[in-house]
Amino acid sequence: MSRFKFSVLWLLAAVVALVAIPAQASAKTTITLSGSTSVAPLATLLAQKYVKTKQGKKVKFKILQGGSDVGISDVSRGRVTIGMSSRDPKDSDPGGITFNRIAKDAICLITNKANGIKSFDQSLVQNIFSGGIRSWGQVPGAKQQGTIDLFVRTPASGTQDAFDKIFMSPKKIFSGASQKASNGLVQQAVQRDKAGIGYVSLAFTKGTTVGNYKGVPCTLRNAKSGQYGGVRAFYFVTRGKAKGAAKKWIKWVRNNRAALRIAASEWVPFK
Amino acid sequence: MEAASLTTAPGTGSRGRDRTDRRVELWLGALASAILVLIAGMVIFVLLKGMPSFAHNGLAWFGWGGSVDEQLMAIFNSPADPDEYVYELRAWPLLYGTALITGAAVLFSTIFSVLASIFIVEFAPRRVRQVIEPVVRLLAAVPSVIYGLIGILVVVPWVARHLISESRKESVAYVIQLDGTSILVGVFILVIMICPIMIAIVVDALRSVPDKWVQGAAALGVNRWRAMRTVSLRAIRPAIVAAAVLATARALGEAIMLSMVAGSVGFAPNPLDGLTFFLEPARPLASTIVDNAEGLSVEPFGQTMYAFAAILLISSAFLSFAGWAARRSFSRYTLGDR
Repeated sequence: MSRFKFSVLWLLAAVVALVAIPAQASAKTTITLSGSTSVAPLATLLAQKYVKTKQGKKVKFKILQGGSDVGISDVSRGRVTIGMSSRDPKDSDPGGITFNRIAKDAICLITNKANGIKSFDQSLVQNIFSGGIRSWGQVPGAKQQGTIDLFVRTPASGTQDAFDKIFMSPKKIFSGASQKASNGLVQQAVQRDKAGIGYVSLAFTKGTTVGNYKGVPCTLRNAKSGQYGGVRAFYFVTRGKAKGAAKKWIKWVRNNRAALRIAASEWVPFK
Repeated sequence: MEAASLTTAPGTGSRGRDRTDRRVELWLGALASAILVLIAGMVIFVLLKGMPSFAHNGLAWFGWGGSVDEQLMAIFNSPADPDEYVYELRAWPLLYGTALITGAAVLFSTIFSVLASIFIVEFAPRRVRQVIEPVVRLLAAVPSVIYGLIGILVVVPWVARHLISESRKESVAYVIQLDGTSILVGVFILVIMICPIMIAIVVDALRSVPDKWVQGAAALGVNRWRAMRTVSLRAIRPAIVAAAVLATARALGEAIMLSMVAGSVGFAPNPLDGLTFFLEPARPLASTIVDNAEGLSVEPFGQTMYAFAAILLISSAFLSFAGWAARRSFSRYTLGDR
């Protein structure tokens, strides 16, 4: 009986301890981030790694998502330390903020190897993904005939957001297109479906034919140099120049080898 | 009670045993009420969180109009200002998809698992039974993502290759895309997933029907099949309902597998399309939540997801209640409430 009681007490103690840990950590410097849902996954991974390093031990992170504009407006009003943005600076942005580039994201257009489309221009991409062209017979260079199978991403995904803005704007994606929850699922779908076409981050193109966009191949080098059109930069936006803990972190993100390796897992690293 | 007396050391007087009993009773009672409070708290929390989405749309939330995915996209891309949050949503395709897939799967698996259980209990040779039973129990424990993987790697390509002709694809090309991910595959794999659970419950119930009842029927000259149908099956109706409720709950909550094989498009399959209907995709509520988990911290979007969760919670509560009522009404001529 008493053993049973003790085990319950231990359980309670463990729960209390778990709840208490975050409260203890409040003595550290807190870096708050808000903004782009496309940058947030990368920022989260980087933050998780950083707090395990020697200089990162004194820092605590709080990351909120909400779109690039939310991040930029938050940081300009001083609500957060860093705003995350996946779009370039605009003239209409509030003054006094600095865009610190931390990585890039390239989006490649992929088709099945049996179809093997080598190159796309913007109007072709827009016609295919908006559902204007529904048959491969109307696409120059296609080895397949028949109806096109579109594989896109779920509304909340950063890649979807980027594709919408860079490739599609102002057209809308065909509402009957099959939505996949991850890059890997789009890749898998295009690999197996001869009539399939999709778009993925650079790291997920294996086993498919990667098409040139506006005549430029989708490669890491072209993405880094900025020649490839389907690229957007990821920024950490700060109020004025980055200072203190935020400055140290941004420097670490741009230069540390472990940080660059994290960025290279799905994105194009800074260096 | 039994468990409590087992833990008491032998030789303790009856007074000590009483006190231990009472203490265990208190502990268990506290635990049970804690769970009740937790559930009630959860329901209230989810409802409150989802409220803005319901409040903004009113009853039109449950209606149709426009593309639900475009609406979700607009909610996700809401402006930064809380006064300008977008909430506009017509969730009908998702609700319809949930009801369609769950209903069809539970219907088929009830029929199949009752027949399979009768075979296992009454007709299967001993050797066969010794193999089938453990296999069924093992299948009941397989995680759903494994079924999802098999579905997307094997079943979906097979359906795309053999069941969907080019002319069928073309006929609906400008409305929806047929690529193998479909309600057909979703229901098929869901049936495989929930059948083992139902079979396990129904087999146990069939075993507990007193032999005398069946023998009495046999003595009157009916054959085994008829005795099964008229005596045993009637007697276990509450168990069948219980199994169906459990299966429905699992089907309602199934997210990963269905998101992988049922198409993951916010589309309402149209029965007027004839056979094509079965090959059209749909996306239930649970899959919608999982697929969009990335955007939860965008406030209006998160609230919309909570609204979906609230619908799921309420329907499962309603489901348990309906199951309880059905079991009660059956229990007069049966083995009692199960």
